Amino acid sequence: MTDNESTISSQNPLTSGSSPPPKKKRNLPGTPDPEAEVIALSPKTLMATNRFVCEVCGKGFQRDQNLQLHRRGHNLPWKLKQRSSKEVRKRVYVCPEKACVHHHPSRALGDLTGIKKHFCRKHGEKKWKCDKCAKRYAVQSDWKAHAKTCGTREYKCDCGTIFSRRDSFITHRAFCDALAQETARVTAATHAPNHINYHFLGMPQHFPSIFKPINDQTLDPIHELTHSTQDHHPPFANPSFSSLPPSTFYNLNWDTTHTSPNIPNHKEATVSSLFSTHQNQISSNHEAEASARMSATALLQKAAQIGATTTDPAMILGSFGVKCNDNGLDGNRLCGLYSTSSVTSGFGSDVESSVNENSAMNGQLQMYTCSKRRRVQSYEEEGGETRDFLGVGINPICHPSSINGWI
Amino acid sequence: MDANPKFLNPRGDMQPSTTTTSSSDSAAEGGGEAKWAAKLLRECAAAMSQKDSGKMHHLLWMLNELASPYGDPDQKIAAYFLQALFCKATDSGRRCYKTLASVAERSHSFDSSRKLILKFQEVSPWTTFGHVASNGATLEAFEGEPNLHIIDVSTTLCTQWPTLLEALATRTDDTPRLRLTVVAATAAVKSAMKEITPRIEKFARLMGVPFELSVVADLSKDSLTVREGEAVAVNCVGALSPNLIETMKWVNPKVVTVVEEEADFSSNRDDFVECFEECLRFHTVYFDMLEESFAATSNEKLMLERECLRSIVRVLACDGDDKVEEHERERGRQWSERLREAGFSAVAHSEDVVDDVRALLKRYRAGWSLVAAAEDDQTGIFLAWKEEPVVWASVWKPSK
Repeated sequence: MTDNESTISSQNPLTSGSSPPPKKKRNLPGTPDPEAEVIALSPKTLMATNRFVCEVCGKGFQRDQNLQLHRRGHNLPWKLKQRSSKEVRKRVYVCPEKACVHHHPSRALGDLTGIKKHFCRKHGEKKWKCDKCAKRYAVQSDWKAHAKTCGTREYKCDCGTIFSRRDSFITHRAFCDALAQETARVTAATHAPNHINYHFLGMPQHFPSIFKPINDQTLDPIHELTHSTQDHHPPFANPSFSSLPPSTFYNLNWDTTHTSPNIPNHKEATVSSLFSTHQNQISSNHEAEASARMSATALLQKAAQIGATTTDPAMILGSFGVKCNDNGLDGNRLCGLYSTSSVTSGFGSDVESSVNENSAMNGQLQMYTCSKRRRVQSYEEEGGETRDFLGVGINPICHPSSINGWI
Repeated sequence: MDANPKFLNPRGDMQPSTTTTSSSDSAAEGGGEAKWAAKLLRECAAAMSQKDSGKMHHLLWMLNELASPYGDPDQKIAAYFLQALFCKATDSGRRCYKTLASVAERSHSFDSSRKLILKFQEVSPWTTFGHVASNGATLEAFEGEPNLHIIDVSTTLCTQWPTLLEALATRTDDTPRLRLTVVAATAAVKSAMKEITPRIEKFARLMGVPFELSVVADLSKDSLTVREGEAVAVNCVGALSPNLIETMKWVNPKVVTVVEEEADFSSNRDDFVECFEECLRFHTVYFDMLEESFAATSNEKLMLERECLRSIVRVLACDGDDKVEEHERERGRQWSERLREAGFSAVAHSEDVVDDVRALLKRYRAGWSLVAAAEDDQTGIFLAWKEEPVVWASVWKPSK
């Protein structure tokens, strides 16, 4: 669930006086600030559009930011430009659905748009339907995002066959002999903490959204389903493969189309490479592209090592759970962060990582994984441009020159 | 591996309302001289029925000259029907059928059957249409149930289930347990299940769906059990029979999904010419569909065409004492009548499921369409190839 807006509730720097605005504390999603004001809106009010009304002309807007932008156009005297001078208490919202986890104030969400989307997605009627694959969505933006990529995906089985249709891929996968081999290899390679896998739950259209670890084998369905050219990689990359000649590894009943290692779809590539490296503890350096964006896992390790010596930058890095569209900005952001210790907003709704957390590696790891989840989700929904996964300026780590003062 | 001839060998369907020539024209290519095979075959069948042996022999000879299983669809139709007519003329239908069946069993392996059916499903919605319609209806009927039991009487070798497993894993908040009981009537299917069982089980584990699979010989109380707290569905694909309709009642299913080829070979058994027309018409559509779905040199296409011979021979050259099947195919309307009489009432596919089916058809080449049952006494949906209904899918539940 990404919120493409930059601010949730604004903190007007002008009203705070000359001191730097207080750091915005970010809690985990659905664990609100205990002092926040809890707002419970009825479903009707929640779903009502245009809640924010301009007092000058009465025009309604869906978001507060849009209203503020609009108000500027009225050339209001300076005083009236301000929001009301009274302290704006932080607001959190609960889900009107009684059975929902977020119904209870202790699990309220801090963002109005977020709770709207949550309510729609979880409890709403799925009005929007994809023309090509019949997949249904409750939120229009989700539907639009899906429609952009529907049908453009390619699914590749371990045996080498490529499918443009998901249903054929699934059916093939169930009967493919490569499946038998795959689980054997995965159980051998699996060692990672479980929670990292769970953070890919945000991609229902590609993978089972619920991983029920009946046994270790199920921890890596994504990997098994979409992992690409394992048989093309040099054996050294995968210790469990080192003794096996790739060509005879699979029961080749199928025409193994030996395609180039370049995975057809960027998104899939990065996700599966994430998993593969995660599982096999290697950096995916078999592809030029992949090597440019180092694997997230390898980075995690690297950061952990670096973090051990200098905790602060690591913490700050970890707090960047957001999209970094422009690589050029990364350095600036980091730079800016380094000097001030505040984190600019730039977050969407759910994930909040605490900058001031002084916990050690555990906390750091937690932040990384939280941000990774968000990264992947926003990645999914924004059309698959190349992004650095952790949003921490992965490029800088690979290319130290582009970063100021980090390495 | 003997894929059930009932399904992979479609039997013909007569549309009594339309003239057979025009409908077979629209199904096969073009018009005019392209219809030479149908014309000759019909004349031969008529001559046979009238016991005009001179004419019959002459036509058989002509067909033999022109036919070829490796030629265009007309030549292929001519070749296969010629063989059936020959069997009929020489009274060797039963023997021929048995030979064909045993050859098929020997030459098919799990690998080749798997490859064949998966390829077929990739290029044609012939079987996947029924899968999507039935899975959708089953999922909806099972909504909220924690323990599911599906009894599968099908000819599609469990290719229906991976997508259902995936749907259970992704679309439900609490993934239910699924128990699948596969009824394997023939030895061939039994042996295929030996290979299929571990694969499906592994796949279910992968999907995170608690899963159990068992293979039984029939639907009797001795063969399978229904546990308490289970919601039962019976899935029937290409295997319906009056006997099955009766036998399935004891499991008290919440839903029965039926998929059958739209063909009538049972009501016209006494009239050879009518039966012949039916068989010819249906297979003409089928061969036309195969021709346009597969590549020109496809091996799979050839195999599917060959599979047809068995059923054509069975329908045309084995009757009376020679009958090798308990019951031949019927059309949707006929099955509906039987099901109603047996105490089931029809349930319409929901709009969502119909949408899913339409989306499925879009993923294949042009020529396919979904046709809803038109008249009042009709139920279910049809898959149509060039406007000809070819596969019927419907949903039933016991009427209290």
